[in-house]
Parts: sequence; structure tokens; C-alpha cells
Amino acid sequence: MNLDKMMDLPGAMAAFTYSDRGDLQSQVLREGTELTPQVLDLLAHSCVANLAIASMEARGWEAVTGQGGFQPLKGFSVVGLEWSVVVNGNCGVVVKNRDADYEATFNALQAA
Amino acid sequence: MNIVKQLMAIPGVIAAGEYAFRGDRYSYEGALTDEFARMASILCRANTLSVNMQSEIFDSFAENCGCRPVQGWIARGNQITICAVGNYFAFIENRDELLNDVMTIMRAKVGDIRDDLLANLYAKLGGDTKEALY
Repeated sequence: MNLDKMMDLPGAMAAFTYSDRGDLQSQVLREGTELTPQVLDLLAHSCVANLAIASMEARGWEAVTGQGGFQPLKGFSVVGLEWSVVVNGNCGVVVKNRDADYEATFNALQAA
Repeated sequence: MNIVKQLMAIPGVIAAGEYAFRGDRYSYEGALTDEFARMASILCRANTLSVNMQSEIFDSFAENCGCRPVQGWIARGNQITICAVGNYFAFIENRDELLNDVMTIMRAKVGDIRDDLLANLYAKLGGDTKEALY
């Protein structure tokens, strides 16, 4: 996983990888950001939880409604006041909202 | 023109709606049945509550770190994406640039979500739950 490449995404403030249990494994933080490795570790745990919940919802939605197109899940993003975290698999990127390109970020994570 | 109608005017938007903070009152347009729109409203409300709870925890570790209050969330499916901003949601196709356009419009039209979202989400359940929460 090339985190430096992820940091080239528009508005990227941080990029990180985490284990299946949500433990932070590696991170790159842009200088001057308020984010800390401790916050990223917490963020990584929430990312695993959110991806699991969204996968469960996608599976349930398809089963109940008969509508397709939700599975497999290709990522999840939480949009905060100033920044968003975009995750897929075992990698996440924090991007500034005003510069964020959600589509490019999801695509980069999928290709990673 | 209201937000839901504006969203539905964009090619590739499958359905859009607004849910009350209770989650069981909603309005929508697009390719959903009434029952599916009800389910979508409850799903969106539950996820919104969940990510707001998470942001409160982040905030306790790093005050004013820029995540709180949460404005919304995105669930990216294989061919369909669900976008939620405030108490609005949209089901959209995974087309080039559509996600960015929809998020830009939703953020601009809904406006910044204020800090009282959680209080509203709970208080609308009935009774004065704010005191117990804060």
C-alpha cells in the first residue's frame, strides 16, 4: 500500500492502513494537521465498524427489496464539518471537505 | 424548488428523500416503494446517529479536530451509492462525477448541520431526553 500516493489525492490530510480488527498499522499525516495517530487509531476502529455495518445493510437491503447493485460494498465515508474520512478494505484517507474528490478517493482506494 | 426535486432532476439519481428525525416520517421521490422508503429512512437515521456518536468520541480525544458535528455519510456500493446529508438521502448510480455533484448540491442546499443534531434526533423520540444525554 503506497500511502504517499494516497496523499496526492485532492485535499488529503492523512492516509492510513489498519488491520481487520481496526488497529492502526501505518499512517502518513500532513504537517500542520490537527489529527494525531491516536485519533487515526480511533478512526480506524470506527472505519472497520462502519464498513461491517454498511455491508450488513447492503446484504439485508438486497435480500429484502430484491434490488441489486449494493454488494459488494466499495467503501464508506463519514463527512465531518471540515474533513471526511473515506475508507475501503484496510486503507483510509482523510480529505478536506472543500477540496475533496470523493469519487477519485473511492476509486484510488479500490485500486490500492 | 425543494432539495429532493433538485436531486431528482439530476440524471443518475435513482431516488431521494427527506426523513424526520424520528425516522418513521418521510417523504421521497423516485424508484422506491413506500415501504422501501420507510426502511431507507430508518437505515439513514440509524447510521447518522452512529457516526455522530463516533464523532463525539473523536472530539473527546482531540477537541475541535474538525469532525464534529458530522454532516453526513456515503455508502459506496458496487453499482449504487447512498448519500446522506443531514436528514436528506439520495440513492444514486455509480456514474462518473455524479457522486461529487450530488454531494456538492446536498452540502450546499442542506447547509451546515449544527451541533444540535443529536439532541434533535433523540428529543423527537418524545419527552425531554436532552437532560439525560448531556
